[in-house]
Amino acid sequence: MNSDKTGHDHDDIGCLQAIEAFYAYLDGELSDPGAIEDFEHHMSHCRSCFSRAEVERLLNERMQESGTSKAPDELRSRVRRLMDEF
Amino acid sequence: MTEDDDLKTFFSRGIEQNMDALYGTALRLAGTGADAEDLVAESVAKAWSAIATLEDRQKFRPWVFRILHNCFISKYRREIARPAESGFEENDEEALASLLNDQPDDFLVWWANPERQFFNNMLGSAIMAAINDLPDSFRMTIILVNVEGLTYDEAAEALGVPPGTIRSRMKRGRTMLQKALWAQARDAGFTKPTNNYGHAT
Repeated sequence: MNSDKTGHDHDDIGCLQAIEAFYAYLDGELSDPGAIEDFEHHMSHCRSCFSRAEVERLLNERMQESGTSKAPDELRSRVRRLMDEF
Repeated sequence: MTEDDDLKTFFSRGIEQNMDALYGTALRLAGTGADAEDLVAESVAKAWSAIATLEDRQKFRPWVFRILHNCFISKYRREIARPAESGFEENDEEALASLLNDQPDDFLVWWANPERQFFNNMLGSAIMAAINDLPDSFRMTIILVNVEGLTYDEAAEALGVPPGTIRSRMKRGRTMLQKALWAQARDAGFTKPTNNYGHAT
């Protein structure tokens, strides 16, 4: 059994290994089925890591909502004129 | 249609399809709309002049982002004061353990159970401000992956680093971002006092 700094006890994969795989999993970049299974198993019984993952998902959504920008029409026209000269 | 016409049509279409993402990334890098527009225009011109270096058309997106990033580094970066790079590029568990052990206990507790009200009320501008304060390599990685939706392989191509470096930058950068948000929550009076077991009192 391992104990992390939040005072929670975990066995096997552990919070540290789960956090190691956190972003790869959430970003759809974890391809090894065994690693996915281990991660999901840990999430199923560790409230701390499950909660962290939910926060990360929420943060991802907020970043996509607020971070994307639309190119101004002036820039589109400028680039089109530029490409016409190629 | 000649081969040149086909290439030009392909290039124009690729630029059009990625225009919003290129502008959004340029905006995060250069800081102002005017500089971002100049950066995109310069990158498009450079990309066309370097079109012969695009070996695989399927990789147009990371290729053009790499040119944008290189343009920024060569022209704009010197003019903008940025946070220093941390030098952290390791991709091993020991380094991550060290990173987490360096965090204050209150932060780790908060990260596991932050106040929903804080996240619900948090302005997108506050999140983006926290991202903008990250060192260049982490900021750029998070923008490309989490905002513009590039895969880790595409982000690695765009930044000219191995995919493993993108993974480690994501872990490190996101932890830094969480810490910045925790500081915002604390300053706004949102963080709850905790007992010795990490539970809110």
